Amino acid sequence: MSTPDWVEPVARYVLEVGLRNTLKLSAIALVGSTLIGVTLGTLLTIRFLPTRALIRLYIEIWRGLPILVTIFIVYFALPAVSSALRFDAITAGAIALILWGSAQVAETTRGAVQSIPREQHEAASALGFGWVGRHAFVIMPQALRRLLPPLVGLLVNIIQNTTIVQIIGAPELLESAERQVERLTFEGEQHAIEIYGAIMVIFFCISFPLTRLSAYLERRLA
Amino acid sequence: MILGLLDPSFLGDVWSFARDNRDELVDALRRTLTVSAIAIAGASIIGLTLGAARAHRIPVVSQLAAVYVEVIRNTPILVQIFMLYFALPQIGIRLEAFTVAWLAVMIWGGAFNTENFRAGFEAVPTRYREAGAALGFKGIATFTNITLPIGGRIALPSSINTYISIVKNTSLMYVISYPEITTVVLQINALTLQTVEAFSTLAISYLLIVWSMSALIRILERHLALPEEAQ
Repeated sequence: MSTPDWVEPVARYVLEVGLRNTLKLSAIALVGSTLIGVTLGTLLTIRFLPTRALIRLYIEIWRGLPILVTIFIVYFALPAVSSALRFDAITAGAIALILWGSAQVAETTRGAVQSIPREQHEAASALGFGWVGRHAFVIMPQALRRLLPPLVGLLVNIIQNTTIVQIIGAPELLESAERQVERLTFEGEQHAIEIYGAIMVIFFCISFPLTRLSAYLERRLA
Repeated sequence: MILGLLDPSFLGDVWSFARDNRDELVDALRRTLTVSAIAIAGASIIGLTLGAARAHRIPVVSQLAAVYVEVIRNTPILVQIFMLYFALPQIGIRLEAFTVAWLAVMIWGGAFNTENFRAGFEAVPTRYREAGAALGFKGIATFTNITLPIGGRIALPSSINTYISIVKNTSLMYVISYPEITTVVLQINALTLQTVEAFSTLAISYLLIVWSMSALIRILERHLALPEEAQ
C-alpha cells in the first residue's frame, strides 16, 4: 500500500516546522514557569503581608484568565501601552504560557514547601544557613519530591495549550496543519479529517506517556 | 507606564467603555454563560453516569469510557474544536457555531468529570457500602443512597474546578467566530481601537465569573464536608 501524493509534503511541513515550534515553545514555557513559579511559591511562604498579597494577586489573575485572553493581552494590549512591549507571536505565546504556568507552579510550590516539617528549617538554621541557603539546599530538594508529579502534569497541559498560540498565527503544530489543509483545499482536495486527526494522534503520543508517568510518580512518591 | 493602569481615571475609562458598548457586551456575556450552562449540565450527566460505570467496572461501558477519557484528556481542546467545526463538513456533517460551542466544551468537560466522579465514588469507604448491604439495599439502591451522596460530595470541588475550566474554554470559540464575550470584545476593539479598555473589560468579566465560582467551592467545601473529615 503506497501513501497518496499529498501526504509527504504535508507530513514534512507539519513535523519540521510545526512539531519543532511546539516542542520549542513547550520547553521555554516549562523552564520559565518552573523558575518563576518555584521562586514565587517559596516567597509566598514568608509571613510578610505585602509580598503575599502581591503574589496571591498574580496567581489568582493568571490562573483565573483563559489562556487565550492572556495571549491577547500580551499580543494586542501591551503594545498599546508601550511600543517597547511589542512581541512576535511565538514570544507573546511563550510569555502568556509562562504567566499562566508560573501561577500554577507557585500554588503547588507553596503547598510543597509548607509540607516540609519545621524541624528541617530549624536544623538548617542551626547549621548556619541563611534564608536563601536554607531554602535552596535543604527545603527545596525535599519539596521537589512532591513537586515532580504536578510538574509532569503541568508539562502535559503546557504542550496541549501551546495550540492556543495558533490563534495569533504562531506556526506550531495546529497552525502548520491548518496551513496545509488550506493549501490542499485551494488545490481542490479535502483532507481536513486526516490532517487534524494526525495532529490529535501526535499530541496523544506525546501526552499519554507523560500522563501515565505523572500518575506513576504520584503513587511512588506519595 | 504600567503604573498608569493604577491611575484612578483608568478605571473610569474602563467603566465608560463598558457603558458605551453595554448592549453588545451583555448579549455576548449571556452567550458565554448560556454555552457554559449547557456544557456544565451535559458534563455533569456524562461525569455521573460514566464515572459510576468506571467505579463499578461495568463491562464494555467502563472500557469505552476509559478510551473516551484518555483521548479527550490527551489531545488539545482546540484541535477537538477544529475537528468538529472545520473537519467534519468533509464527511457532510455541518454543525452550527452555537452547537460546536457547547458540544466541544461539554465533551471535554465530560471526560474530566468522569475522572472526578470515578475518583469520588471509589473514595467511598467499603464499610459504608457493606452497611448498605446489611440494611438490605440492592445494587442500585446502594448507589443512589450511599455511593452517590457521599462520593458526589467528595467529587464536588474537583468537578467545580472542571466547570471553571469549561467557562474559560468557551473563549476558544473565538476561532469559530461564535459571538461570545472574547469574540465580541475583539470585534469592538477592532472598531474602536480602545485596546487597553477593551481587554481590561474582557479580563475583569472572566475574573468575576471565575473568582465567584472558586468562592463557591470554598463555601461548599465547608458546608458539605463529610462529618468524619470535619472533625
